[in-house]
Formats: sequence, structure tokens, C-alpha cells
Amino acid sequence: MTNIVGKPLPRIDAFGKVTGETLYGGDLSMPGMLHMKILFAHRPHARVVSIDTSRAEALMGVFGVYTSKDVPVNEYGLQWNDQPVLCGPGSRYGEDHAYSTAEEKGRDIVRFVGDQVAVVVAETEALAAQARDLIEVTYEDLPLVTDPEAAMQPGATLVHPEIGPTNICVHDKIRKGDVEAGFAQAEVIVEGEYRVPVQEHAYLQPEAGLAHIDDEGRVVVLAAGQWTHTDQKQIAHALDLHIDQVRVVYPAIGGAFGGREDMSVQIVLALAALKLKRPVKIVWSRQESMFGHGKRHPMVIQARWGATKGGKLVAAENTFIADAGAYMYTTNKVLGNSTITQTGPYFIPNVKADVYGVYTNNLPGAAFRGFGAPQAAFMAESQMNKLAEALGLDPVEFRMRNLISEDLTLDVGTPPPGPVSIGQVITAAAKTAKERYSVEAFTPTTVHGQPSTVRSWGFAAGFKNIGFSFGYKENCWSRVEIHGDGEIEDVVVYSASAEVGQGNHTVLAQMAAEVTGVTLDRVHMVTMDTLNMGNAGSASASRLTFMSGNAVKGASERAFEKWQAEERPAIAEYTYLAPETTPMDKETGYSMPNFAYAYAAQAVEVEVDTETGQVRLVRVISADDVGKAINPAQVEGQIEGGVVQAQGYAIQENFITRDGYVLTDMLSTYLIPTIWDIPESVDSVVVEVPDERGPWGAKGVGELPYLPLAPAIAHAIRNATGVWISEIPFTPERVLKALGRI
Amino acid sequence: MNLWQQYVCPASVAEAVQALTSAPGPALPIAGGTDLMLDLSQGRHPPVHTIVDLTSIPEMTVLEIRGDELYIGAARPLTRIARDPLAVRHAQALVEACDLIAGPQVRNVATLGGNVAHALPAADGTISLTALGAEVEIAGPAGTRRIPLPDLFLGPGKSALKHGEELLVGFYLPLTTYHSASAFKRIMRPQGVALPILNCACRLERDGGVMAEIRIAVGPGGPTPLRATEAEAALRGKPFNAATLSEALDALLQQARFRTSAMRATADYRYHLVGGLLKDTLEAAWERAG
Repeated sequence: MTNIVGKPLPRIDAFGKVTGETLYGGDLSMPGMLHMKILFAHRPHARVVSIDTSRAEALMGVFGVYTSKDVPVNEYGLQWNDQPVLCGPGSRYGEDHAYSTAEEKGRDIVRFVGDQVAVVVAETEALAAQARDLIEVTYEDLPLVTDPEAAMQPGATLVHPEIGPTNICVHDKIRKGDVEAGFAQAEVIVEGEYRVPVQEHAYLQPEAGLAHIDDEGRVVVLAAGQWTHTDQKQIAHALDLHIDQVRVVYPAIGGAFGGREDMSVQIVLALAALKLKRPVKIVWSRQESMFGHGKRHPMVIQARWGATKGGKLVAAENTFIADAGAYMYTTNKVLGNSTITQTGPYFIPNVKADVYGVYTNNLPGAAFRGFGAPQAAFMAESQMNKLAEALGLDPVEFRMRNLISEDLTLDVGTPPPGPVSIGQVITAAAKTAKERYSVEAFTPTTVHGQPSTVRSWGFAAGFKNIGFSFGYKENCWSRVEIHGDGEIEDVVVYSASAEVGQGNHTVLAQMAAEVTGVTLDRVHMVTMDTLNMGNAGSASASRLTFMSGNAVKGASERAFEKWQAEERPAIAEYTYLAPETTPMDKETGYSMPNFAYAYAAQAVEVEVDTETGQVRLVRVISADDVGKAINPAQVEGQIEGGVVQAQGYAIQENFITRDGYVLTDMLSTYLIPTIWDIPESVDSVVVEVPDERGPWGAKGVGELPYLPLAPAIAHAIRNATGVWISEIPFTPERVLKALGRI
Repeated sequence: MNLWQQYVCPASVAEAVQALTSAPGPALPIAGGTDLMLDLSQGRHPPVHTIVDLTSIPEMTVLEIRGDELYIGAARPLTRIARDPLAVRHAQALVEACDLIAGPQVRNVATLGGNVAHALPAADGTISLTALGAEVEIAGPAGTRRIPLPDLFLGPGKSALKHGEELLVGFYLPLTTYHSASAFKRIMRPQGVALPILNCACRLERDGGVMAEIRIAVGPGGPTPLRATEAEAALRGKPFNAATLSEALDALLQQARFRTSAMRATADYRYHLVGGLLKDTLEAAWERAG
């Protein structure tokens, strides 16, 4: 029995956020503060020939105008240093090292509209904007590369000639079993081509922050991110500073969803603060946010799957072409996740897959909730539903016959580390649909008084790794201090892990309270800072409950032992090390890429207006195995939020670019779901199959509920109207075209 | 840099015109400001010298019966039109349009005059007023004049208002008579707050089973708000049934010119939708007039 873990307690950050006391990046202010504006490229592919800043510098009230020449090491990147901090000529690499030629390193090239060319620091934001508009840049436009399939071809214009002779920046392979022999056994084969779109993170709080120099001469950057310590590393690298000369502190974070994993304002803020020795602040507009940071990877996926008449999967062959956009960001890791999840939570003995990432002059593909798995799941679950139909089997029954288990191998040739709960979540979702909504079959129903509308249910599942993959040494640090004399007065938890809105700090506080036996109000969180804190890793891969939870649990237990041994104060540090994983073999993909997986299944009801083509999500049942719900209310919040974000991806959001330019760069043209659009109900079915390695058995939930929704909606549309739509989003026109009405 | 130097709140239309024309620099009227403030603060409109706030002018915010007409001040917020019993009785199409423009917060401050003054071919308020047969009163240095609403529109985003001199004061609509009614409907992306893909309004008088009088407006069906006169002619004096409806649609398709807008809808989609939209709108008004 637990007292605090497992309770739906109110969030510890709720009061401050609701009352407005909590400060986000845009709320920060310091005496003597200056304001920054960034000159973005606003062109997708060009060489910066020259930059004339003289008119901007001459403007009264302007304190500094910085370009490529001012950046000590003009490169950064979370995976590869393939992006200039400021694009332009005369870039340097360290104090005394010019690049042998700027051209050679390509630091003078802008590769997408959101590349940064110059920054202006001035007395006011308006002055900075005015000065920015006085900067004269001479560009020489370069040929555009916007279609990844064309960009793969030999002879295509190279986006990064300095890196290599091809735009293909990732190629992951799966070679499992004998795919030809597998197809020879197949009695039913289903082929499909799937297209999945760009999605904007659309977090509530656009990029913003403040940098200043502290009393010890360190540059302090206060800007929301997802991983303090990699922000620190990238800032230090680009500014040629020792890591200890940079301190990264996160103010409150207004949503992240993966979109804050990569840098936006941090390096240029630090650069300006160092140059001017004054606090410098920037707040991006919504428009700047929409073209200035990476997006979910669009992909084209070819799939061919075979099964026997008995309903057993025997072979699959898939090809993914993903648009990596202008820079690597985390494309290699995102596509790694697509690769390992591409046949879903099912066992297929023979699999061949090729997963390509391709550089283009589009916005960079970035981390986004699900991290490559939603794209794969749309294909895999659609293939499953089509095969079930071709075999005349119930889609739930067909899944149950092909489940992955601890004894069977994933596409990477090794079994998933247990416990494997895919059967439980599929059963839970199907059972709930039957018992609560009498869903017996996936057949169409009409709506009284609405002759042009038709409804039906659809089904899909999904799975996703918890934690970092492919041999990364997963670790997470925490320190816990117990203060008091006779009784515990105060438990202080130190953790750099990012509260991006998901509720991580509340969960950590609950864990510390549980271990030390105090009430939640005695726990104080000191968080999100690189100074005197160890690495926590990123708020991503649904990993923080597991990773930072284990760290805080371990530190709490150790501190509590000392408390019981009469140490005052009782202080312990602990770094949790996750079970080891291995990278994929380059030719076969063979690996043990992850230490844990979580599983989800959804049944959804959809209404299609066959006159207007509009699709409405009516109901969602989402069964998610979280291992243990540390805070059930927050788990439900994650499920509901994940469902609505995936609904936007599947139905409403439509990110339109033309020749590398973003047409939908405002929330009036890029429509995300509002309160008017959400389903009538989301039934969260929280399944708890404990993972003994997780804290109190917990796994994670952040990405899970996102995964099955789009393919479940596609299935429901099929069941309602008789047509498959294999391209997201399911816009009215796409639906009507599929129906043959336009 | 300030977005304006001077902000004035005149108490009458004459004072407002005076403030506009006598300003020593560029001057703009403001009512709800839901578009204008964004344009100014985001740099799409250059800073101005004087802003003339119209919302304290009684003549421009009142909604009342004047003789045999309904008068609506141009600076009256949309919500206050949609919730007004006189508007509900005499201008159902307008009430329905005012309830759909933007979102609830915007509707609480945005005004009908602002919706019309942009001269957009698919503004919901404009389309409903066109079908209702509205006339518009304009004030300028030479006094006031009253013109049929369609005469206000010269092209997409272009109105006959003299910039910096003239104001929309208000709208005059005929009162609902026995067996007459109106309706407005629109199709938008399935999201709570979005621009219309297609909208349609009509006002009709019913004589038993016959469409005695009919006025229809559709947007966006051309460079200016489209009065569907050909469809009206196909219906006027005819029984309202599937055959006449079909003729009306054919006539509308002959007259309207639907275009593709990159971020909202293709022309094909609009051609497909307009039949159902016309039918639904006419049927709603027909039922009400019964």
C-alpha cells in the first residue's frame, strides 16, 4: 500500500500557473535589460554574399548588431553540428581558426526560411525591430530542393555539400528472416502507400528567454527547453566557452512536445549578453515560432504485408522516405524509432525495411510527441486493419493472433524486454467499447435527422519505447535533502528534469513524499538548472516518470536511511542508470535498442458528413498501460491531451508550404483543435501492468495515447463510408475525393 | 515608436468626421479594433497620427425601429446584435451570421461596421445584410448619404468609402412582414473559430407554396459580395420544390465564380458544396416564413 503514490493529488504547480504568479520566459525582466530581434532568412536556399549592418548600427538606441563573424564557433546541433548559429560569410571555428573557407563548411548558406542571419540588440523591442529592418543582406539564390523523393536522386542539388555527396542523411535497415520466403507463404497480401504531414507543436508559449552575466562572470540563459544540460553544452560549444561558464536555468515551460529539444533563442541570447555585459531578452511572435522551429517529419511510406488464411502475419516489406528538412536536429533518432516500431506490436518472422531521411530546404524535421512512431503506426495499423478485412477477420481478433510477446522477436531480431502488455490493452479497449457503447461490430450507423452523416467505430493499437534508445547510456541524477530535528520538516528534491506541463515535478514530489513518509506540502522541488545539478536527460521519450522517478526514489531512499541513522540534515545523491541497450546493426538492424516499451490501444467513433466531407471525432476509448499511475489524474490529463493533439494531426491541422515558404504561419490559418472541436468523450482506461524496474512499477505515458488515434480514425472512416484514406490529414476535400464526389 | 499619437472619443458622428478630416496626420476610425489593432501592432498597417474611437457615439451603437425599417449602428458589437430581440425578429440571417463570426471574445467587441467596411466578398455580416436588402448610411464632410449596400463594394478589399474622410454610420433593413423570413448558413473548416469556406444568406416572402419574393447572397462568389440575382429569378413567383431549386442552383452556378484559396478550399470543393448550402439556407427560411 502506498499513501501518496497512486493518488490523484492536485498539481504542485497549479496555483502559481492559474494565478499568474509563475513566470514564463516572456515574463522575465531585469534592471538594465535590452531587447533582441532576429533577422531571419525568409528564403529557403541562398548564399549570403554580404551583410551590411551599418544603417542598423547607426540607429540611436541600438547597442549591438551581430552576424556570422561574431560567433566564436559558428555551428550547433543536438546530433550533428550542421547548423550555423548565424548564417553568413567569415564564419569562424574557435578563436584563432577561420574555417579554411566559409564555402567549405557551408556556414554562409541559408537552408530554410527560419535560418537566422543577424541579431539586433536595442533599448526597446520596437527599436530592435526597426534596426533589424535596416540590415541589408545580399543573397545569391541557390536551386531549391523541397521534394525528398527527388532530393534522393543522384545529381540532385545538395543541401549540405560540405557533409557528403548525397542528401540522404539517414538510412536505417531491417533485414529479419527471409522476406521472399515469407511472401511465398502469404495467402493474402496488402499493399499501401501512406502519406503523413508536417505538424506544428503550437505550444502555448512561443520561444522566449533572457540571458545575463552573473556575479561570477558566467553567462546565464533563462529559456524554456527540454534538457538543461544539452542546451548548456551547445551554448558552450558555439561560444567557445568552458561548460562551467554557461548556466542554463528553465523558467516555467509553456508546453514543449519535442519542439524545444533543439535550440532557438539560447545561443544568440548568450552571445549578446557576453558581448554587452547586460541582460538581453527576446520573445518570438507566434509567426516567428511557426516558421522558426522544426516540425513533425512528413513521410511517404510504402508497405507490403502478407498473412496466411489462418490469420498469421508472415512477411512485411516497408520503405520510409522522411523529409529531414534543412538540418539533422534529431532526425537520425526519430527515424530509428520509426524503424523499430514499423510493424507495430506484432510478431512478423520476415521483415525487410529501408528507412531514409533526406535533407531538403523545408523546415527541419524535429522531435514531436511519439518521435517517429506515430508515422509508423499510421501505416502499420492501417495495414493490420486492411489485412483483417481481406481475411474476413475481426480487427481485434486478428491483432490478438499476432501479438508480440516476451518470447517473440521484434523487427530488430530480439524480444521486447517485458512485461509485454499489448494483449491487455487491446482487450481493455475492445471490452470497454462493447460494455459502455455496445460496439459489437465495426458497421456504419445513421444519425437521426442528419441524412448526410454516417458514423462508425474504428480500432488501432500502438507501442513505443520508454527512454533513450540505441546504446545511449541512459542516466538520471537527483539529490534529496531531509531537514528537521525530531520530525522531518522539509524534504528538498533537486532534479534538472523539465516540467513541460506534463506534471513531472508533481510526480517526483509524490515519490519523495512517499519514501520519506511526509505529506506533499513538506516536499520542495529545486529544479531545471545546470548549476550544482547532475544530468536528468530530456523531457522526451515518455521517460521522465521512469528515469527521474527512479533517480528521486533512489536519492530519497538513501537520504531516508541516513535520516533514520540520525544524520541531520540527511543528504543523498543518486544517479539511476537504466539497463543497457545496443545500437542497430547497420545492415540488419539487429539490436536490443530499448530497455522498456509501453503499449496502447484505442477504439474511436467517428462521424462523416458525406455532403461536406467533414469528419468529426465523436468518442475515444484509450487503454494505456502505464505500469503504475503515480498520479491517475495526471495520467488522464496526458491521455486526453494526447488524443486531442493527435486529433489535430489526423483531422484538422494542415501545414501548407510552397517552395520552402510557410503559408500557414498563423493560428488563424493553421487550425489546431479548440474546445469546440474536441470529442464528446475520452474514456481513459488506465491499465497497470507493473514493470519491476520502474518506480513503483511505473513506465510512462506522454506519447502513448497519441499513437493509435490517426489509424483508428482512418479505420472508422472506412467502416462508415467504405473508403480508405491513406493520407493525413483527413480534410473535407480529401474525404470527398475518396468518395468520388469531387 | 507609438502606433498612434492621439486617441479621440467623439460623442457624435459630426465630431467624428471632423476629428478624422482635421487630424494633422493620417487618421483612422476604430470600433472593435479586432483587426486594426493587430494590423498596427504587427506592422501590417503603418502607425497613424490619430485614432478616432466610434464606440461612444449613440447614433452608431443603437439598434432600433425607425419608421418601417430596422436601424443598426455600425459600431454595435456583434454579440449585442445577435442577442437583440428586434434583430432576432426582423433579421434572423444577420443574427445567425453575427453568432458565427470569429470566436465569442472577438464577437463581444468586433462590430458589424468593421465586418462590412473591409469589403471582403465572404464576410458573414456583409452576406447576410446583402440578402436582407440593407442600405448603408455614410457620413462625410459633405453630410450623410444613404446607398444600397452593394454599391459600397468596388472590389475585393475595396470600398466606395473615402479613406480618412468618411464613416459607415449604420444600416437600414426592411422589417419582417407576415410570411417573410431570412436565414444564414455557412460551411467552415471543422474548427470552432475559422473563416468561412462558403456562406449563403437569403430573405424570402412566402405566398402559400409559392416563393413570392426572394433575395440571395453567396460568398465568396466573385470579387464583391455576390447577389445571386439569376437564382432569385429562377425562384421568384414559382412553387418551392426540387425542380425550381435545381433551376436556381443551375442559375447560381452560371453566375458565381468560385476560386481556389490556397489555405482554405479549392474551387471544386466550393462548386460541390454550394448546392447543398443553397438548399439548406432556402429551406430554413422557407420553414420560418410558413
